[in-house]
Amino acid sequence: MRGRRLIGLGLSVAIGAAACGSGSEVPSGLQGFTYAERVAKPDFVLTDTGGNSFDFQEETKGRLTLLFFGYVNCPDVCPVQLGQLSQVFASHPDLGRAATVVFVGVDHARDTPEAVRAYLDKFDSRFIGLVGDATSLEAAQLAAAIPVAYREQLPEVDEENPQFYTYAHAGTVLAFAPDGYSYSTYPMGVRQSEWVNDLTILADIGA
Amino acid sequence: MTWWCTALDEAWSWSRWRPYPGVWAMIGLLVVPYFWNMRGRFERRHALLFGGGALLLWLTTDWPIGTLGAGYLASAHMLQYLLYTMVVAPLLILGVPEWMARRLVARFRLYRVLGFLSRGLWLPALAFNLVLIATHVPATVDGLRQGPFGNFAIDLAWLGAGLVMWLPVLGPLPELRRRGLAAIGYLFFATGFVPIVPGSFLTFASFPLYETYETAPRVNEFLTAINDQRIAGLAMKLGAVPIAWGMIALLFFRWQREEETAQLAELSH
Repeated sequence: MRGRRLIGLGLSVAIGAAACGSGSEVPSGLQGFTYAERVAKPDFVLTDTGGNSFDFQEETKGRLTLLFFGYVNCPDVCPVQLGQLSQVFASHPDLGRAATVVFVGVDHARDTPEAVRAYLDKFDSRFIGLVGDATSLEAAQLAAAIPVAYREQLPEVDEENPQFYTYAHAGTVLAFAPDGYSYSTYPMGVRQSEWVNDLTILADIGA
Repeated sequence: MTWWCTALDEAWSWSRWRPYPGVWAMIGLLVVPYFWNMRGRFERRHALLFGGGALLLWLTTDWPIGTLGAGYLASAHMLQYLLYTMVVAPLLILGVPEWMARRLVARFRLYRVLGFLSRGLWLPALAFNLVLIATHVPATVDGLRQGPFGNFAIDLAWLGAGLVMWLPVLGPLPELRRRGLAAIGYLFFATGFVPIVPGSFLTFASFPLYETYETAPRVNEFLTAINDQRIAGLAMKLGAVPIAWGMIALLFFRWQREEETAQLAELSH
């Protein structure tokens, strides 16, 4: 667990260094990895699971937003992160109503709109799924200042099983308060009690 | 490969078997000397009980239950606890014949220790419940479950606590075995009350208490961390009941029969 958290911390520092801060103070009491200065919401456009264009900044304006880049066939990080959020929203329906979860499928070959929708419905049917081609997905990840996911071949892969691969991707959930800024990020290993604490704080910023 | 079960950072797979040589060595160290000592004096009933206990010990400690309990499911952790303390320990004790126990006690000079446990029943009851509490505190579980040494310590503590708790009522030396109301009262207090407290915390907590199980990849998408914990809590509260109360009932009827026999003997004089 500690290893995961250190990776997340490193990622947060990298994001903080890469992103432009506006100088506003980060609220106290957050238990996620906080930035030195708040970070603006990224600007990108992808396609939602209904086939409609989804302008991330526009569609999530004024909402507490949780942005996560993952893939449907992820064996560990994605189901844990999404599962934790769905459990938090099940136990705290007010937070579920206040937050918009946006999942971006980075595996452009397998993360079809249908596959992403079916996957997210296992956790919470309110979660929004976005898909895109390789170029637009890379642009979205660069806009969010996270490392771009890349395909990893597993040793077991062979010509008969070309689908046997994983993606190395940022396992961190980026949280944006209703004011449009991010104050903290959440790597794998964040606990439900920490989520409730932080989402309650973030939901009040700029609401 | 690790020598004992440990928490893993990867998705659970029912088809990914894992070898734990330490577990096999422990079972070997238990079974081989036992059957070596049985040469020439083989007793089927004792051998079956001891063999059953050792088999169950192996199944409880090795993959998959051991791996699940080490890092994936609080309910598997609780299943391990219940099996070690309520099934494996009594089976192992019942599997040791009196002559073998006397030989062991003499070799390791354990008679005074066993006598002390048998006379002061508060001590095994206290030790059993202290181990129960200590091994279910979140800090202990999250700290020890991360490595093979910690998991080994938990497994050993549970087995040891079970042996210490059951010895005064099931021990192979008749003169040190407690009977009647003392044994009934002892089992009632040793197993009946303390598990309710941590069991209730686990059942009614708003959030998952153990980070190890909360942030582990889910074994089953329908078994959420909080539901897994609730199952563990209910198991802690109710799991020991059938065995403890079954034994209490058995001791009661045996005591009643002994009393009746004694009364009849008195009347006949």
